[in-house]
Amino acid sequence: MAFLECRGVTKRFGALEAIRNFSFALRPGEILGLIGPNGSGKTTLFNLITGLYAPDEGEILFKEKSIVHIPPHEICRLGIAKTSQITMPFGTMSVYENILVAALYGQNLGMAQAHVAAERILALVGLHEQRDEPAGKIPAPLRRRLELGRVLATGAEVLLLDEVMAGLTPAEIEQALVLLKLLSTQATIIMVEHVMQAVMGISDRILVIHHGEKIAEGTPIEVTGKPEVIEAYLGKRYT
Amino acid sequence: MILFWQSLINGLLLGGIYAACSAGFSLAFGVMGVVNLSHGDFVMLGAFITYWIFILAGIDPFLTLPFTLLILFFLGFFLQRLTINRLVGSPPIMSYLLTFGFHLVLSNLALRAWTADFRTVQTSYSGLTISFAGLVIPYSRLATFIMAMAVILGLYFLLYRTETGRLIRATAQDREMAQLMGVKIFKIYTLTFALAAAITGLAGSLISFTFVIHPQMGLPFTITAFCVVVLGGMGYVPGTLWGGIILGLVESLATTYLTAGISVAITFFLLLIILVTRPQGILGKGVVE
Amino acid sequence: MLMRRPGLNGILLPLLVLGIILLLIPLLGMAGYRLRLFSLIFMWVALAGCWNLMSGSTGYIDFGPVAYFGVGSYCTALFMIKGGFPFLLSIFITGWICAALSLVIGLSTLRLQGAYFAIATFAAAEALKQVVLESDRVLDIDFFGGAHGLTLPSPPSGIFFYYVMLFFMGLVVFLTAVIQKSKLGYGLRAIKDAEQAAELTGVPALQIKIRAYILSSSLIGCIGGVEAYWLTYIIPDDVFNVMRTIQMVIMTLLGGMGTLLGPVIGATFFTLISEFFGAKFVYDYLILVGLVIVVVILLMPQGIIGTLVKKRGKSSWLF
Repeated sequence: MAFLECRGVTKRFGALEAIRNFSFALRPGEILGLIGPNGSGKTTLFNLITGLYAPDEGEILFKEKSIVHIPPHEICRLGIAKTSQITMPFGTMSVYENILVAALYGQNLGMAQAHVAAERILALVGLHEQRDEPAGKIPAPLRRRLELGRVLATGAEVLLLDEVMAGLTPAEIEQALVLLKLLSTQATIIMVEHVMQAVMGISDRILVIHHGEKIAEGTPIEVTGKPEVIEAYLGKRYT
Repeated sequence: MILFWQSLINGLLLGGIYAACSAGFSLAFGVMGVVNLSHGDFVMLGAFITYWIFILAGIDPFLTLPFTLLILFFLGFFLQRLTINRLVGSPPIMSYLLTFGFHLVLSNLALRAWTADFRTVQTSYSGLTISFAGLVIPYSRLATFIMAMAVILGLYFLLYRTETGRLIRATAQDREMAQLMGVKIFKIYTLTFALAAAITGLAGSLISFTFVIHPQMGLPFTITAFCVVVLGGMGYVPGTLWGGIILGLVESLATTYLTAGISVAITFFLLLIILVTRPQGILGKGVVE
Repeated sequence: MLMRRPGLNGILLPLLVLGIILLLIPLLGMAGYRLRLFSLIFMWVALAGCWNLMSGSTGYIDFGPVAYFGVGSYCTALFMIKGGFPFLLSIFITGWICAALSLVIGLSTLRLQGAYFAIATFAAAEALKQVVLESDRVLDIDFFGGAHGLTLPSPPSGIFFYYVMLFFMGLVVFLTAVIQKSKLGYGLRAIKDAEQAAELTGVPALQIKIRAYILSSSLIGCIGGVEAYWLTYIIPDDVFNVMRTIQMVIMTLLGGMGTLLGPVIGATFFTLISEFFGAKFVYDYLILVGLVIVVVILLMPQGIIGTLVKKRGKSSWLF
């Protein structure tokens, strides 16, 4: 059974085809790495899956049902959540409250249960020290952790992570990888990353996207060997 | 049938005037995102400047236009420089309230100074009309319409065919990028608002020959500007021409075939419908946040 | 941003004491003009509080609340005059009618952002005013009374309205406080801070906004109905007057948008000033109001409460 599936998805912005005839199937419990040069359409794909955009052609299916034209908040409730590359915290609320909102609405809990869930997630992402800080005022790497915390607090089964490792030190990357491995026992992850060692090391499979099209798919080893992939990143001269 | 054509002509002439009175509003919103709630008061001031110069110095109203242009330019210049510029980056409600404060001050100062009496500008040629095919067109309305078209064309020329205009449009499209390219944003904003005020004042002067003027006339013109600009597309200055004409036609036909009061209601319903169904305006070129 | 419960407790006691004092005032002999003044303040605190409940919570600047005030006035008046219904029942039905109307208007306008929402709500209010003003003439009926308006049956004494307005003020303040700690409150703040992120986190933005809008609008409608009975005489130019919207906005802004006490302070202050100066020097008063607005916007954009709070160093929704 395909857990999350895209079939022939195309998205245009005016004359520009941001995503072209994109198809893939996500297996439950796997970590799928999505790599590609800047501007290749990775974030657009995430926006399509979470309902911020609607595809011009093609289908997106979650648990065999179409999720196209469903509003983002419903898609979140159904079980898909994403982090944003440019973090969007609820600036005037505290770090704790940001996570609380996600638990309240993403999982549709009552206040008491939501507090329990929020405390747990807060500890999981290691933001306990900053819990009362206004979310708009914490430094960027912590904001990214908050994004992750919010996504987790929604109880989503599919986590779309958009460059959560950007700007982390090697030690922090190690920590993040441990966390992701832990999360993958309970959720399915698609991660967009530019930090190659991280995404190659942890992913079960890799998708390579270039100019909005899928140009390679397979295990990390299979994919790194493919000439199209090398060409996409480094240009023709290097193949 | 004659009634229909007369109504149509009236609407067209009215529409052109509305367009000229609203262009400045669209400019301010398109470039700076400022909704100027004192917009109509610039119309009022322009009308009064012409009135007083005409009454006190006997100068023909058409010749007072340069004065209006200058005075309102400086008014807009200082308002923007001293106050509105400070609100760049603040939530929009701030500029609504600030400009509403201006409205209260300007309209009530005018009331205090000039009383609530209605006034008109009557020249030797005020009553003259042109007639053909059973239709009557007041000369002053026609002249006003022609001048209004000239104002809009002039603004279009300024925005689309001059270097300054290009700077203004660049700033409107992408403020950060313009800044990175060395454009002095605040100077552009000041210039834009001054320009918007000047044009609006000019339009106000023009309408003094055809409309009754009084200190409270501003607010209805602000509302009209909303309608015109939403219809034509917020921030898309050429669209104000279409927006103005559509509004003028709707109002004129409604007044002729229904009552004057309903015409106002129709204006608002039209505005509401457009906002809900097609906020980017009839031509689809408006700025939608 | 309620981060500790004690914040609420700190203010709860003084508010309770104040509430009791206000309840007892008429029984201690105050009457006539002073009673009316208090009632007027209560009304404006309630109105500003309603506007704050919607716009302060969501960040969507509503320029059309007077629509519901007017509709509420006319509903109550018509039920009492043409239907012979008792006052309280009329107010009750009025609330529901305004709720229904606000659902319709809200569903269409709350999809718009920023200036468009403001203009749309303003247009809706003005359109409704024109409908009430012109319907009789256009449809050749005698229902709304056109520009002359309607006259209601004789009202009970000033003390009755004192308590009714006090009730509404208390209700609005109470609801504001309760919502703020509730799931709805968190949803509202999330929308205000980052609407798209809120949607992605499962917050149904349109539904939440509509809830706040309906609550605010139906209460405004009820208050409009109360004022109609109080003044005995309503005309479209008064109950649909855009100045009422402006006052609600200014009072809230002056006090501090999005805070619990902001509308209370702002409305009290503003009502007192307009009572003492406004009636006597209309133009000067309005010029002064205009200047005050300009000064506040430029120097104290967070309002009185907001600026005080900022100085204390913590941001607080509650106080």
